[in-house]
Amino acid sequence: MEILSTLGLEGKVFIAQLINFLVVVFILKIILYKPLRKMLNERKNRIEKGLQDAADAKIALENAGEERKKILASAKSGADELTALTKASLEEIKIKLTQEAKNRSEQILEDAKQKAAMEFENMNRQIGKISVDISGKVMMHVFSSLFTDEEKNKILARALDKIEKVGYEKKSN
Amino acid sequence: MSISPDILFTIAGFPVTNTVISTVITDIVLIALVLSIRKFMSVNPGKIQNAFEAVSEYFYDMTSGNAGSRASYIHPWVLSIFLFIVVSNLTALFPGFETVRFLNASDGHHGVPLLRGATSDLNLTLALAVISVVMTHYFSVKYTGIKAYIGRFLSFTMFPIMLFVGILEFMNEITKLISFSFRLFGNIYSGEVVISTMYSMFPIGLPVPFIMLEVLIAVIQAMVFAILTMSFMSMFTDKAH
Repeated sequence: MEILSTLGLEGKVFIAQLINFLVVVFILKIILYKPLRKMLNERKNRIEKGLQDAADAKIALENAGEERKKILASAKSGADELTALTKASLEEIKIKLTQEAKNRSEQILEDAKQKAAMEFENMNRQIGKISVDISGKVMMHVFSSLFTDEEKNKILARALDKIEKVGYEKKSN
Repeated sequence: MSISPDILFTIAGFPVTNTVISTVITDIVLIALVLSIRKFMSVNPGKIQNAFEAVSEYFYDMTSGNAGSRASYIHPWVLSIFLFIVVSNLTALFPGFETVRFLNASDGHHGVPLLRGATSDLNLTLALAVISVVMTHYFSVKYTGIKAYIGRFLSFTMFPIMLFVGILEFMNEITKLISFSFRLFGNIYSGEVVISTMYSMFPIGLPVPFIMLEVLIAVIQAMVFAILTMSFMSMFTDKAH
């Protein structure tokens, strides 16, 4: 005990130092450790969340890449189908239009033929009329000196009637 | 420079020594430092907060590496011991310690130093050692149970070997108190004596390398005390140990 007092060990001071340090620990625990740990945990959580978000973003990016590839493949397949369909449609339309044009041209040709036949018929009739008229005039001129007017008219009527009948018969043949 | 602290005056029979004054200064500096850090504490730390966090995390990682989940109880004590000792040791190196004299009737015209390094007083270092050892035993009882705790010192398995080991363990606790308190006290007191001697020999320039050395010793001794406390607390709270 002698040596301890020589070293300056004093009971009251020792107890005071003991209490002082316990008070310091208590104060530090309240004002430092709790807020510090809370803040460090908060930061740790933030960093973990950031890392998790980054990992999620990476996965989402990879998924988006896969999705993009799928969409592109699907779009390409769709485009190919559409192209094939369009080609088929075009071919169909082409055939249809060609057929229609052919039909139309045939129709036009038929119409033209019919029109030409009608024109030809009309022309024949007119020519027939003209030829009857000319024949009548020629016969009038020839018969004027040979027969009386009554005879001339009878002959003429019969001749014209004959010419007319002959003309038609010939045409119908 | 005497080995025992000088009594400046007494308050209601309590002897106020120069180391008690230094302890109060240490408390004020430490709490002011902590409050200033806390004031600017944010999730995005500044330089000072970063440095402080580095110290705190260093001890926390070390404690959790040794004690696992028990680190949350051990770490505040370890960090408090480190901060208190390091602040105390470093403030003792500031000008004014040992040189500013306090005159009283008993010491004549020379007086006694008004301030002296708090850890150069055995009262403080022993108090820290007692707290360290007592808290170690408290945590041991709390985490391992009273049966396992007593079994550490009093075991009749493999009689008489384990009983002897138990006695040695008990002796070890006594020597732990002595080694804890005297290591810190001896290092800081001897450092102060060296610096004081250097000042008395050649006050300009000569003490500087010794002060630098003392800065190193101040930090190392604080670390030694804190790490040993952490180590003992981890060991004593481990059921398998």
